[in-house]
Amino acid sequence: MNTNKQKRVIIEAKAVTKIYPNGVLANNGVNLVVTQGEIHALVGENGAGKSTLMKILYGLERPTHGQVFLRGEPVQIANPQVAIRLGIGMVHQNFMLVPSFTVAENVVLNTEPTRGITVDTAKAIAQTQALADQYGLQVLPEAQVDSVPVGMRQRVEILKALYRGADIFILDEPTAVLTPGETRDLFAAIRNLVNQGKTVIFITHKLREVTEISDRVTVMRDAQVIGTVNTNESDERMLARMMVGREVFMVVNKPPVKRGKAVLQVRDLTYVAESGKVALDNVSFNVYEGEVLGIAGVEGNGQTELVEVLTGLRAAAHGTATLDGKPVPSNDPRAAREVGIAHIPEDRLNNGAAISSSISDNLIVDRYYKAPYSQHGFLQLEQATQNAQAMIEQFDIVTSNAENPLQSLSGGNMQKVIVAREFTAQPRLLIAAQPTRGVDIGAIEFIHQQLIDKRTEGLAILLVSADLQEVLKLSDRLLVMYNGHIAAIFPDPTAIAEEDLGLYMLGAKQQSADDMEALQ
Amino acid sequence: MTATDLTTLNTPPSTRRSRALLWMLLGIVLALIFSVVLTVHVAAGGITDAASISKAIAAPAFTNMLGMNVLVGLAAVLFVNQTGWGTLRVILTVGAALLIGFILMLLISHDPLKAYNALLTGPLSRTNRWGSWVEDAMALTLVGLSITLVFRAQLFSLGAEGQIALGAMAAALVALYVPPLPLGIHIPLAVLAGCAAGFLWGMIPGILRAYLNANELVSTLMLNPIAALIYSFILDRIKPKSAGFTVSEPLTAALLPRIIDGTRVTTGIFFVIAAVIITWLIIQRTPLGYEIRTIGANIKFARYGGIDTKRTIVLAMSVSGVMAGLTGVYLALGIHQKLILGLSGGLAFEGIVVALLARNKPLAVPAMALLYSYLRVGGPIMQTDASVSLEIIRVIQSIIILLFTADGLIVFIQARRTKPKPPISEQDAAHIAEGAAAQP
Repeated sequence: MNTNKQKRVIIEAKAVTKIYPNGVLANNGVNLVVTQGEIHALVGENGAGKSTLMKILYGLERPTHGQVFLRGEPVQIANPQVAIRLGIGMVHQNFMLVPSFTVAENVVLNTEPTRGITVDTAKAIAQTQALADQYGLQVLPEAQVDSVPVGMRQRVEILKALYRGADIFILDEPTAVLTPGETRDLFAAIRNLVNQGKTVIFITHKLREVTEISDRVTVMRDAQVIGTVNTNESDERMLARMMVGREVFMVVNKPPVKRGKAVLQVRDLTYVAESGKVALDNVSFNVYEGEVLGIAGVEGNGQTELVEVLTGLRAAAHGTATLDGKPVPSNDPRAAREVGIAHIPEDRLNNGAAISSSISDNLIVDRYYKAPYSQHGFLQLEQATQNAQAMIEQFDIVTSNAENPLQSLSGGNMQKVIVAREFTAQPRLLIAAQPTRGVDIGAIEFIHQQLIDKRTEGLAILLVSADLQEVLKLSDRLLVMYNGHIAAIFPDPTAIAEEDLGLYMLGAKQQSADDMEALQ
Repeated sequence: MTATDLTTLNTPPSTRRSRALLWMLLGIVLALIFSVVLTVHVAAGGITDAASISKAIAAPAFTNMLGMNVLVGLAAVLFVNQTGWGTLRVILTVGAALLIGFILMLLISHDPLKAYNALLTGPLSRTNRWGSWVEDAMALTLVGLSITLVFRAQLFSLGAEGQIALGAMAAALVALYVPPLPLGIHIPLAVLAGCAAGFLWGMIPGILRAYLNANELVSTLMLNPIAALIYSFILDRIKPKSAGFTVSEPLTAALLPRIIDGTRVTTGIFFVIAAVIITWLIIQRTPLGYEIRTIGANIKFARYGGIDTKRTIVLAMSVSGVMAGLTGVYLALGIHQKLILGLSGGLAFEGIVVALLARNKPLAVPAMALLYSYLRVGGPIMQTDASVSLEIIRVIQSIIILLFTADGLIVFIQARRTKPKPPISEQDAAHIAEGAAAQP
């Protein structure tokens, strides 16, 4: 790529300020300069203003003040149609595809090639295939979208933008939903786009991805741009410091483990899904007081089912789980909570919270029926509010009022609400599934420290996470799940070679039953 | 000015509270003035001169009428208090609907102004018409509350029709066949019977939904003809041999006392007030209400949190049935004073409109019931006073309903997103932008 081309500014935001009608200042005099043909990473904690800035560039929001320039010319991007006409395409985190349509139909949607009054399906497929080949975005044009994997759906979104003539691509946390393999494919596709003259703006939480893919990186914090740097002149620590305004300690302060008696004992636990698939296959392990037992594994290898059986959301086919010697209630979430199992669910928006309800309502779902929250048959609202205020303080939840709806919070603060509720339930066992997924670095650090503190106080914690660094960092013992069974138990996670771990996770290696018995 | 100064731009909560209180007081004062004017107007048949006032005060039951009108005014204040800026939206919707209706009227009536005048002021022109309005609003309030309860749980119910019929039947049977008792015992007994009937008839679709996953929309609808048949079967058995129509003996015991001459306005108003307060208490202040709100907000979250979602579904439907049953009691003991076929007259479905208009807030239901029944009562008056045929009136009413519900449904679907007033003015925003630009 010649230097001349690299330096030409393609899109620029100058002194952009956005104040939402509810008074939230989301962008405060933001300047962003993106040059032609670069991969520009945009990083920042949840609520730093990245999404708002991108929404302004894509016409989903209008700036309160400031101006957007495209190739040096001031432009008014009133709505996404205008953005598309100007050659700006956006791939949202939640895909905007019609699930029952084919890939090709989705790509050409609304600008279909026609033959008479009908859609020219053959041409749509050919055009899709041609675009896919040109940019190295592998898709099956004739497959129905809801039958193709997530990675391909994302490529369909990119093709959609390409088909509409986009030159600038805004990718909003594109890797959040991808497996490591799919992420690799995506990065290859992004490089392909850039090689053919396109420009990519890439929002992410993951610093590793920034260093891996981007040419330049802009860091946002508190609605402002902290700075833009060339990626090869920066490092992860420096970016982390810019993001949170202080050094993030990548290593949690973790006192040595003091293991107590076994709290949870799981023996031959088996769960068969409705489809007949054996999702949990004779799983046995213990969790002890004062330890974090981590469960690593590629997602979809039985972790979800294990957690849901242990928390009373599903019933096991056979096998036992006992808490302090008493059986864990089956298929009864309240009973499971009452014996002392707290649960941070992996899907916080679907299971962990009601986003239209107030923060205070969200914080009492496990205790509203008990004193002091209910007395003489009535809810004690002051108690619920006090409870919420105490938790907002203790867990550093950023909000102006405990009665605000949960959806007014950023992702990290929503997760803190869930964490606060589960931590204060005074559990015997805490099951934390993906506790920091999609959460900003500041909140990750906070939640990690909370987990460690609780474990040091003697709580038994079962940690399930797809983030390898997270399980390796927090766990006192590590268990690897593959295809519904336990592939390996590691008594000391610090001593594991990552490569070795990968082999167990991918089913290439399996510890013998005797070995595992010895390691319990 | 820096970003941190932003917090000072927001009004502190204590000031906000006292300001809200001030508005509330102003509203109440306005409502009181309004109710006095309204009462004088209705009782004296229009305000012409000072003599109208003395004429009105001399009218029978002036105090009771004034009391009812005070409640009407308070219902409006309560609505504004509950809905906030949404009130403006309701007013705009009503205005738009009436405007379309007026355009239609221009096309079909010789004297459109007279016709519209009849629709808009007719219900206040005579005491008996005013009475029909208030009576109807009381019934609509009860049905509206019933629907509000199921809507809060994100369920649906078309079953109020059947619940009303069986509630009326149960109450009337107590009135007819329980040996005469003091009114203070007999009425509550009849009310209890009616509520129990509604509870049980509401429980059936609740159980079907919770345990067999049967769509409650279908089951509640299908239970209506069954209830209607039970109703007419029993009515046929108990009707006097001499009666030419299928109608019961006039009820003599347990009747709700009428409190304003020339109308059917009864002490049933106390049941209506109690029902509004109880529904509000249930939804906002009881564990059951928390469960109902939570399954309505996200049923998966409710189950994860340990709420017995099946039990909550059954109870939400049953308690909704109680309110519909109470409507039946009110119609039997207060309005008709006997059992007739087609007792509810389609009231049940209009309760859905009222619940939607009130955005499922129990305290906002009475005002919307009053608004809606005003139009229900105004239609026939337009027919008699301006000889516009009833079919045309139905068309106009439908336009109004359509606009109302379209507006209500959109909000219902958007999960009631509130749009608070921006606390920052354009000017402040400019200051902030300047401040930002001045930063290094």
